[in-house]
Amino acid sequence: MSVTRAWAWLIALTATSTAVAAIGLSGRWLALVVLALAWAKAELILNRYLHLAQAPNIARGFALGLALFMLALTSLAVAIP
Amino acid sequence: MTTPQASVLDDLPGDLMMWVLILSELAVFGAGLMGFLAVRLTDPPGFAEAQAHLHSTGAGINTLVLVTSGWLAALALEAARAGRRARLRALLAGAALLGGVFLFLKAQEYADLWAAGLTFESHAFYTFHMLLTGFHAAHVLAGILLLGLVGWLATPRAVEAGAAFWHMVDLVWVLLFPVVYLI
Repeated sequence: MSVTRAWAWLIALTATSTAVAAIGLSGRWLALVVLALAWAKAELILNRYLHLAQAPNIARGFALGLALFMLALTSLAVAIP
Repeated sequence: MTTPQASVLDDLPGDLMMWVLILSELAVFGAGLMGFLAVRLTDPPGFAEAQAHLHSTGAGINTLVLVTSGWLAALALEAARAGRRARLRALLAGAALLGGVFLFLKAQEYADLWAAGLTFESHAFYTFHMLLTGFHAAHVLAGILLLGLVGWLATPRAVEAGAAFWHMVDLVWVLLFPVVYLI
């Protein structure tokens, strides 16, 4: 994937994040959707802008760390009673 | 005669020290975001009320500005590798200019909060918001200066380091934006 295509995906994912908040989605569902979109954006930046896609072993390590971090964020975000 | 063993770090794109810096910054901001969500559990209605005073659409626009700026920086690296100095400088200038737009929009949000009497001490939400976004804005400012420096040097290695720092700033923002402004 070229950096230009990655940028187009980032724009689309950002617009989707803002749109789902603007249309009134709220609570746990909003948290799940926008954090999943943020996760996808972070992976794009790591792999395409920072070129980790060229180093698959290192990319897998970053992907694992990011997955654990996003899991922790999501758990805290949906834990509101 | 022994052959040096290949290390997985040999595959790392760019300078190792820049990656150490990137990981350090991600750890600091990651801890801050987890702290924000953990403290939010103690007062969900207070955090929701405080968040309503932020410019969530403006922050969404700022995300578009920053990812576009990152795209220009990534294109600048391609230009540097192709030996196209004028193009790489123009692309880095564009990236830095968009960084300035980001800071302008961020300053407007701070000014509006200040005008409404909402400060660092008004609520725990604003303490975290101003610490996280203020620290991030300081990195944007540092990144603009760094883009200027690597544009002046105009070598592939320098541009790669500067662009990597800029992408780290971008990466932090895409994680910070939904946590502080949307959920």
